Amino acid sequence: MQGLIDLVDKYFSISVIREVLPFLLKGALLTIIFSAASEFFGIILGLVSSIVRVTRTKVLSQLMIVYVDLFRGTPLLMQIIFVYYALPYLGINLPAPVAGIVALSLNSGAYVSEIFRAGIESIEKGQMEAARSLGMSYAQAMRYIIIPQTVKRVLPPLTNEFVALIKDSSLLSVIAISELLRTAREMMTWKLNPSSLTAAALIYLIITLPLTRLVNRMEGKLKRGES
Amino acid sequence: MIKIVDLHKKFGHLHVLKGINLEVNKGEVLVVIGPSGSGKSTLLRCVNLLEEPTSGKIFLEDLEITGKKINKNFVRQRVGMVFQSFNLFPHMTALGNVELAPKKVLKMSSREAERIATELLNRVGLKDKIDVYPNQLSGGQKQRVAIARALAMNPAAMLFDEVTSALDPELVKEVLDVMKDLVKIGMTMLVVTHEMGFAREVGSHVIFMDEGVIVEDGFAAEIFDNPKHLRTKAFLDAVLH
Repeated sequence: MQGLIDLVDKYFSISVIREVLPFLLKGALLTIIFSAASEFFGIILGLVSSIVRVTRTKVLSQLMIVYVDLFRGTPLLMQIIFVYYALPYLGINLPAPVAGIVALSLNSGAYVSEIFRAGIESIEKGQMEAARSLGMSYAQAMRYIIIPQTVKRVLPPLTNEFVALIKDSSLLSVIAISELLRTAREMMTWKLNPSSLTAAALIYLIITLPLTRLVNRMEGKLKRGES
Repeated sequence: MIKIVDLHKKFGHLHVLKGINLEVNKGEVLVVIGPSGSGKSTLLRCVNLLEEPTSGKIFLEDLEITGKKINKNFVRQRVGMVFQSFNLFPHMTALGNVELAPKKVLKMSSREAERIATELLNRVGLKDKIDVYPNQLSGGQKQRVAIARALAMNPAAMLFDEVTSALDPELVKEVLDVMKDLVKIGMTMLVVTHEMGFAREVGSHVIFMDEGVIVEDGFAAEIFDNPKHLRTKAFLDAVLH
């Protein structure tokens, strides 16, 4: 019984949460901004690199494969540290927020690239043939026929990727960006009480749950073949 | 209109077409029959360059389309193709499917493209399905949209690749009727089909292919009533009885 009371006191202290909430919300806003910006650039990177890969442009396509392998095969934490602490030796000095977005975008772009590539390759071969048989160029066929169908199919995995990115953005705390998790840990030290962590977890859930629900709905719709 | 000279096509070690020669004159309907795997579809796909011939020459309206410098997109604008599996664009309405290529390839105005598309959908009997998406059309309706889509480019010739093979039996007729209308207006057609009744009725010429060669060719009546080769006879016996 005493254990339970201690647990509530340490992790679910309403008074502490009330005090730290404004700071946490500020952190949450940063988390959303960093994730959204990185997802945006990640989608552009991923789309471009996936198209380069499926069109099998010789050298470029190999380069993109290296990029995707590199960023999917190493820890994001390491990538963030490299971009922020190692690039200055090459004369590239990025302020922490920029370095953070660059690292997250590059990482997200690698995953998005895979999602788009799988999406493009899942479109029936007959679609490209039908488009080409009407005299469309490869680029036109991609633009009007293949990509629009791909986008619909990749929306669920892309949203999942965004959810993962929101959680992964907490790693930006290593380069002193006060996003949600780092703020929560600072509040924990300040208040000598980890209730701020609980509050942060709830905020993460409030952000991610609608997104995961949305994915479920989109998948249901796709399965039923609705447009 | 279409002339093919000593056409060969290999996929790796697989020799699919072994020296095909044929000619289709303007307004003629050439029907290609034969067992599956005989190279009929590959032959058709070579004519609009969906497959690149390994050797040999193909002429379209006296232009050699197998030359190195040929603009494939232009060739494909001149030859319409209809596929067994429809291949309609699922994210566009029937009208969208038909008007897309005229707009994007021929750079037609939206209004003009829509007018032509509407007229063609009307001609294939789908006036009331203009704003419907492919997933709400029957197989026969889909195939008629696909025919309208190919016609919208105003091609010099049309290729039909087993266009009724994926259809429920009761839907075959509506598609064949549309094709017969095309024959009437003098469209040059190269048709791969298993519909022997149709082949006999509309074919100016019939070609029987087996194992990558033309075994026998001639007028429809000759081939069907008086096949000269044993292989042709065996095939016709198998499909007609």
